[in-house]
Amino acid sequence: MKVIMEVRERHRPNLPIEAECIVPKNFVGPERTFYVWKGNKKLDIRDVFHIRRDGHANSVDKVEIIIRGDSSHIKRIGEYMDGGRITIEGDIGMHCGNFMSDGVIEIMGSADSWLGREMNGGKIICHGDAADYVGSGYRGEKRGMKGGTIEIMGDVGDFAGETLAGGEIVIHGDAGDMPGVDMKDGILVIRGDCSRACGNMTGGTCTVLGTVHDMLPTFRNEGTEQRGEHVLTKFSGDHISRGLGTLYINNFKYMD
Amino acid sequence: MSELLIKNGYVIDPLNDIHGEIMDIAVRDGRIVESVGNAADIIDAHGMLTLPGGIDSHTHICGTKVNFGRYMSPEDMRAGRTTRKGDMHATSGFSVPTTYGNSYRYSRMGYTTLLEGAMAPMEARHTHEEFQYTPLQDCMANTLFDGNWQALEAIGNGDIKRLAGVLAWYLTASKGFAVKLTNPGGTEAWGFGNDVSCINDKIEHFNVSPREIITGMIEANEMLNLPHSVHLHCNNLGKPGNYLCTLDTYNSIPDLNEKRQSLYSTHVQFHSYGGTSWHDFCSKAEDIARSVNNKPQIVIDSGQVMFGKTTTMTADGPMEFNLYRLYHNKWSNHDVELETGSGIIPVLYRRKNLVNAVMWAIGLELALLVDSPWQCILATDNPNGAPFVKYPEVMALLMSKKYRDAEFATVDPATESRVSLPALDRELDWEEIAIATRAAQAKALGLVDYGKGHLGIGADADIAIYPIDVSSTDPTTDYETIINGFSTTDYTIKLGHVVSRKGTCSIDNSNRTFWVRPRVPDNYDMNHDPAFIDCFNKYYSMRMANYPVQEEYAVRNICIETEATL
Amino acid sequence: MRIIEDMVCPFCGCLCDDVILTIENDMIIAADNCCTVGNAKFLGKKRLKSPIIKKDGVWEQTGYDEAIQYTVDTLLDADRPLMFGWSGTHGEAQCIGIHMNELIGGVIDSTTSVCHGPSILAIQEVGHPGCTLGQVKNRADLIIYWGCNPVEGHPRHMSRYTVYADGYFLQNSFKERKVIVVDVRETETAGIADEFVRVKPGGDFAVISALRAIIRGKGDIIPESVAGVSREQLVRVAELCKTCKFGALFFGLGLTMVKGKYKNISNAIELVDELNRHTKFTLTPMRGHWNVYGSNEVFTWMTGYPYAVDFCRGVAFYNPGETSAIDILARKECDACLVVASDPGAHFPRACVEHMKDIPTIVIDPFQTLTTTVADLQIPVAVTGIDAEGTAYRMDGIPLKVKKALDSNYPSDTEILSKMYEKMLEVQWQ
Repeated sequence: MKVIMEVRERHRPNLPIEAECIVPKNFVGPERTFYVWKGNKKLDIRDVFHIRRDGHANSVDKVEIIIRGDSSHIKRIGEYMDGGRITIEGDIGMHCGNFMSDGVIEIMGSADSWLGREMNGGKIICHGDAADYVGSGYRGEKRGMKGGTIEIMGDVGDFAGETLAGGEIVIHGDAGDMPGVDMKDGILVIRGDCSRACGNMTGGTCTVLGTVHDMLPTFRNEGTEQRGEHVLTKFSGDHISRGLGTLYINNFKYMD
Repeated sequence: MSELLIKNGYVIDPLNDIHGEIMDIAVRDGRIVESVGNAADIIDAHGMLTLPGGIDSHTHICGTKVNFGRYMSPEDMRAGRTTRKGDMHATSGFSVPTTYGNSYRYSRMGYTTLLEGAMAPMEARHTHEEFQYTPLQDCMANTLFDGNWQALEAIGNGDIKRLAGVLAWYLTASKGFAVKLTNPGGTEAWGFGNDVSCINDKIEHFNVSPREIITGMIEANEMLNLPHSVHLHCNNLGKPGNYLCTLDTYNSIPDLNEKRQSLYSTHVQFHSYGGTSWHDFCSKAEDIARSVNNKPQIVIDSGQVMFGKTTTMTADGPMEFNLYRLYHNKWSNHDVELETGSGIIPVLYRRKNLVNAVMWAIGLELALLVDSPWQCILATDNPNGAPFVKYPEVMALLMSKKYRDAEFATVDPATESRVSLPALDRELDWEEIAIATRAAQAKALGLVDYGKGHLGIGADADIAIYPIDVSSTDPTTDYETIINGFSTTDYTIKLGHVVSRKGTCSIDNSNRTFWVRPRVPDNYDMNHDPAFIDCFNKYYSMRMANYPVQEEYAVRNICIETEATL
Repeated sequence: MRIIEDMVCPFCGCLCDDVILTIENDMIIAADNCCTVGNAKFLGKKRLKSPIIKKDGVWEQTGYDEAIQYTVDTLLDADRPLMFGWSGTHGEAQCIGIHMNELIGGVIDSTTSVCHGPSILAIQEVGHPGCTLGQVKNRADLIIYWGCNPVEGHPRHMSRYTVYADGYFLQNSFKERKVIVVDVRETETAGIADEFVRVKPGGDFAVISALRAIIRGKGDIIPESVAGVSREQLVRVAELCKTCKFGALFFGLGLTMVKGKYKNISNAIELVDELNRHTKFTLTPMRGHWNVYGSNEVFTWMTGYPYAVDFCRGVAFYNPGETSAIDILARKECDACLVVASDPGAHFPRACVEHMKDIPTIVIDPFQTLTTTVADLQIPVAVTGIDAEGTAYRMDGIPLKVKKALDSNYPSDTEILSKMYEKMLEVQWQ
């Protein structure tokens, strides 16, 4: 079953729409009415989207939602998603795939901040760039993403994988400042460059195939190691805490 | 004039020897009266347990430390959020809710009076500001004196009358209700990162021991003729083997007051630990309860721990640092110059953690082993042992051995060898629960004469009507009914107004602040004492003139004036 | 002539409460004990006589009632109103602001999000080992100023609370206290330091990390130089910290508003945590606006969060970076703006100010500011500490009653906001 949701034109398109109801499980079984929020106004979902349903689904895995049009200010799509598929043809707003536990979200454009925040499982693929806090945690919470996979084909902003506690984040482009900061567990792979990777990490593994700028001075150089096709320098750290994390880096430069 | 008649309730009012009678209660203008006219509003309480409004005599709901607990915990805030609805404001938070959150949730449980357990006098204005936004309860606060320099100096000089003068000044200035000691001496030592290990350690510089502080304060407290006794958080909280320190403390407590205890010992669960380390940690509730049973001059509250997430917060700075070293979670500390300290860390009490399970059992053991419910008050030291919304579960555990056994089966099995709980058959009855949740508090706080904790003529019309039909409920087996019934009243009435109806609260704005103003002879009035003023000017970072809490911070207030016997 | 003692200065987070004012002919003519900036505030500027409203690009005078009605209508009409400012007013007004925001479903934020917001985010991750300023005054034998310049920003901080203040446990405070200053440039404050640590811009996190590692006994991995600081100096600083009796770290925007932002602060906090295993150590953010900390306190007990609270959905939602004023304005995510007691027009990035110009913007402030130039309406009010009174919280959490010295015809923020709130409630009941 396909649900095609095309974003309608609206007044003040920058005012964000919160649409956590757009998640495959809500489209299983008989048709229901849903509401989204534009600021403090509760709107019928059909005021914001033109919706077309093809077929019928009695299990979540049969549902595919396709989002079309300018969805760059639509927030919280795929929140608590537990199966099925969402394809976003353009860009997507903040908090896409929050708390997701299963299923697939594919974003053909770019994603705004907090993509896959506190994710537990499933997969997010983003073909463009992603802004800050990919696969991060929430304010004050010690553990962020705990499972699943996020793959970004482009670049990401700052604090990717902050407080990462499980699962895997793969960034094909560059990452901004402080990826993997406060990381506890899980896998973070950056194929491009970044700065100040993994400050205060207490566990997990981060690999940077490009250059780490402003490399932090509190990681211990453990020598080189063959990792797949690359020879990388292995670091343990961060030694400002227990130092049980591992960094594999191609190139690094300290700020001395 | 507003009149109300509550008809046919099943009333328990221990202070007036009403042990479960079907009767009517008449209310006029916020007070309980003999009778009302025909035009009175009627509440049909048929088949419902009707009690005086609940009182929490030791909770942390307002002030600098509590607010810091909120400030540092957005993750706790998102765990309990409600929207604005009708008269009710939005609320946030689970273990440290917003002031409205506290007020509404206490109100739906039938609580109408709350005592904030710890207020640093220098930050008292903050506590009083938050009281204004706790609209459905009368509030009061303990003023902290554990590390007060001027008090320590008077004790060091053996001048208890001067100590009384110092207490009187600070109580008045902070609009406080009672004298609180938190780890006496320890918080001053913590100013340089140290602590005291037992009540006989002398603290550096001031050269006084916790024992001298405690006994001196009790003596001075009684000289001031205050409604409440000294309110003590013993030294060594949370350390294995600390029960000896607690017993030692209890053995030094004189019996100085005929009407009430001379010492209120708070969250005693945290002070009833045997063993030498966490490896041989065990319950010493029996020893503590035996001591309390022999000492009418002591009243305790249990400081029950319940499983789940919560936030610990206390003026006991060094203890919180120890907890931080144990849990490695976030840690906040806030020392207050010349006065006291405080610390906060979030915790998770787990059933499968042996230490946590033993703690849980100790709280219950204390409540079951102390013979008189007048001497053992039900409290969780909210939110330290658990958020207060768990009180109905605690009540059910105390009323039902069956429930206790069912819960016991879910904890770490090694608990059995460390505690005596499974062997205790006692089940509290309705009246004992009524005592341990309101009447004993009113008596211990000295507020019976001010209309709290009972339903006699002239009392405040603070009434909780629970949807529990006592005639058809067997608390020893129907523990779900107990939990649900005590969680949400049908009616909570505060000063004659229905403030919560099946959990929906309405605006009241009749909340009042209770505070004390002891009058002392001129030669003990610190306002004119050169040494006192000199210390103030030199060492405080605030001017003495700006220190006292102004009247406008206690908009509606009941000032209890006492005449000191010096 | 009239003298009033023990007045509280409504300028910076120090909230000095020993100011002596001299009043003549309903004017403050002198403010003794005050620093120069506080003095300037007491001695005042030209104030608006009445509300002004912009009609067809031209300012006109209007009445208070009309101004209040305009504000109520504008805010009720908006889908996502933003209520920003609050640091320059008293707590009682902030409380009403929260109630109003909750009622209309807007976003409320204080200037925190552009000063010590990162400090709060860090505290929410790792906590805050702090104390009152008198505790530092009486006990501290080591003072660190990191990324702040109290000589300029908080002129009396050193004389009242730290370097020059007499303390109970110190015989000769000035001699016994060691001072460390850490900054990217040699500030005036650096001039009085026993140890000045010059860090390359953006290098604070690395320097803090290096200190943490040294204190944990892992100094061997530290390179010869970290962000411009030699290992030798780092070891010396670490030793000073470990061996003092009571250390106090103060930090400012030089740590919060640079690369890494709140992660710098959480690292600094964990450094202080670590030091507490060796001695006594505390940390205090140097809060700027006199009552910015009060806004955090009030927001927290009323909403659960210290700043940047979004009530659009009825429940409080908090996520600085998303719900903070600067981000909302830059992304054009609000459609009306109320500014109370602050001047975003002077401090916000251009994109933010541009958006304020595009949407209805209302200012409640005693003085004309740069924000006035992008606003549609300004309502002048009394100045707390001069002709209005109320509660404020010092940078260390100490609540003070800020008193008024004069009576005037200006309404206070509390009065104006109360009237607005009452009108909004009326509309809601209809």
